[in-house]
Amino acid sequence: MEMEELTPHIQELQRVLGDKIDEEQLKTELNKYLNEYHVNIDAAKRGIIRKYGGTDTATFVTGNSLVKKVSELTGSEQNVDITAKVVFVDNKEITVKGLPKQIISGILADETGSVSFTVWEPGALVLAKGSVYHFRNCYCRTWNDRVQVNLGNRGRVEPADGVKIELPERQITASPTEIKIGKIKEGMGSVTVTGKVISVETREITAKGEQKTVYSGIIADDTGKIQFSAWSDFGLKEGESLCIQNAYIRSWKGIPQLNLGDRCEVSRVDEVTDVVDTSANVKTVDEITRIGGGLDITLEGLVVDVRQGSGIIRRCPQCNRSMLNGACTTHGIVEGVMDLRLKVVIDDGTGAIGAVINKNDTEKLTGVTMQAARGLAAVKGEAVVGREITSKILMKRVKVTGNVMSDDYGPSMIVKSASLEKIDLEGEANKLLDEVEAAI
Amino acid sequence: MNARETAWRVFATELNSTTLEIKATEEKQPSYIVTPLGAKINRVLIAGVMTEKENIGSEEEPMWKARIQDVSGSFYVNVGRFQPEASAAIADIEIPSFVAAVGRVRTYTTDDQRVFVSVRPEHIVPIDESVRNEWILETAKSTWKRLKDTKKVLGMGDATEQDLIKAGMSPTEAFGITYALDNYGQMPDSTLYLKTIQAALRMLLPDRNVDLGFPEDYSDEPDEIEIPENGEGSGNNAAQLEDMILRLLEELDTDGKGAPREELERRAEAEGISSIELEEVSNTLMDKGLVYEPNLRYLKRI
Repeated sequence: MEMEELTPHIQELQRVLGDKIDEEQLKTELNKYLNEYHVNIDAAKRGIIRKYGGTDTATFVTGNSLVKKVSELTGSEQNVDITAKVVFVDNKEITVKGLPKQIISGILADETGSVSFTVWEPGALVLAKGSVYHFRNCYCRTWNDRVQVNLGNRGRVEPADGVKIELPERQITASPTEIKIGKIKEGMGSVTVTGKVISVETREITAKGEQKTVYSGIIADDTGKIQFSAWSDFGLKEGESLCIQNAYIRSWKGIPQLNLGDRCEVSRVDEVTDVVDTSANVKTVDEITRIGGGLDITLEGLVVDVRQGSGIIRRCPQCNRSMLNGACTTHGIVEGVMDLRLKVVIDDGTGAIGAVINKNDTEKLTGVTMQAARGLAAVKGEAVVGREITSKILMKRVKVTGNVMSDDYGPSMIVKSASLEKIDLEGEANKLLDEVEAAI
Repeated sequence: MNARETAWRVFATELNSTTLEIKATEEKQPSYIVTPLGAKINRVLIAGVMTEKENIGSEEEPMWKARIQDVSGSFYVNVGRFQPEASAAIADIEIPSFVAAVGRVRTYTTDDQRVFVSVRPEHIVPIDESVRNEWILETAKSTWKRLKDTKKVLGMGDATEQDLIKAGMSPTEAFGITYALDNYGQMPDSTLYLKTIQAALRMLLPDRNVDLGFPEDYSDEPDEIEIPENGEGSGNNAAQLEDMILRLLEELDTDGKGAPREELERRAEAEGISSIELEEVSNTLMDKGLVYEPNLRYLKRI
């Protein structure tokens, strides 16, 4: 960066740092950050202020603090000002490193859209629903492809007196799409489904200090199963066939869930006789990737890779999570419980999916029992167990059923049941031959 | 998304007739090849008979070259020290035997602009005949699907990717087919692929007199991909290559920033060093501490 371009930044730094650093030194420092280490200007300024003890960071506004409308937010903003109306606000207590902490979260909106926000250091701040504020020095993150606005140490909220924001009427989908459960995916709005209640249970939860009963369970049709939550009592019973209108979809880790809210209508219908038989409900990885996730999905493919963490592992006796180097990430150093598992990549030619396979199925697929694995580990070490089961499973054709979720690295399945598969070679080959002969 | 790349099932005939490549332009972005039938491939799953293998590296640093034959052609396989698992496995595999391999594809362009595709397996494992046959079936089915899709697209006139997705193809398929048809400049040689499918079905159904009406001649593939070697003896050769690269680095480092990668690749290629070799040699030089990367696009001698 050329010196004249740097001038405004240098002036800004001087304002913040005052006489803690002279101009020459500042130029040298900035030059070092920018031209020797190639860090960006924001990081350079932050670094210099930290290094020379700028105390007044709260009022420190970098040169490119932006003002944006909600719809312009990309999720990567480091420093942005937003003027918006609070349409929903909630004071929450969360636990950070074992200590309770107060935060404020909610939804803010302007003419262009709405976005969720969190004030991490609210102090005595009180936000009123329906009021308009200037949210200054916010930073944005994305989670599940949605932008979130955050106010940290540097963030400030000021009432925007006299500023009026007219929000567009929220559009209510006139006719919810009628859809098969197997086709439901993340990001859908209102839907109407017809299916059979496979299970239902009630849970008591506390929402905003109020006791509430949630009715949750699983509903299925001939194409798939989905978890539902009903926020009021629709009198749902196991085995009933229902038409659920105006339910909405929310996803958790890529698994879509059906929510029966206030606007939802439930009616009893003739029995849905075809309920999906998951063992027959085989989907390709491509189909699964497009849906994002779901319950009790079955797929077939070849094991093309075996990942780290396969073989003998140790689990925390308290939380059952797998441990790393003798320590649990939550409970520290504990005496782990030995377990056997496989983490594989299954590929069916349309896509690849990660799969975690538990002890029983690992034993079944590889023929290596826990006992044998222990024995082998005692003689040759645990790494050898990993290699042994890897050689037993690589390039094997498997059929797995389980729940699928998705993240940045694509879909992955927690396998509930698994088996080795054989293809009816002759039958399939004859079918292909007939098809090709007919076509050419 | 950084989802793992699909391992495509393709026959050697389709892979070896591929000349299109989509090179990564950004960091972490994978490169692809696009076959004449529109498979946009970064990774493949192949199976067949390993008919030959040769260690063209050294005892300590093996570099395996092998051929795996499927129903009507051969895959060219290279395993270097960046595939330690496959390298260890291939050392123990007897010739000939049935193997399956999964790995990334690489291309190599000769001086006269012919393109060869090779496979760098991450895993290579011995299999039995039934697993090989399952692979043939799966691959025949997916080849047939691509043939049908290509034919369908040819019949649709000026169909866009969006049209194809609407017609039921996945985004990857739609992109691949459009890209192949636009860039190969000619229709795919359907006879070649039908012949391959015929050979596959003959293998799978020996008792049914499979005849799709194609004579059984084999493709005119080369016997060998000769990656040019300079001089005899691998140890010597490696040292020579290293010297050449070091010389080039010095020559190209005009402003003290190091040698630009692209320039280096061009010059190396002119000297008969393939980009694959260049990558390996520069990695060796980095390991030896003789060169470093001031940033990703430059290589500099220390």
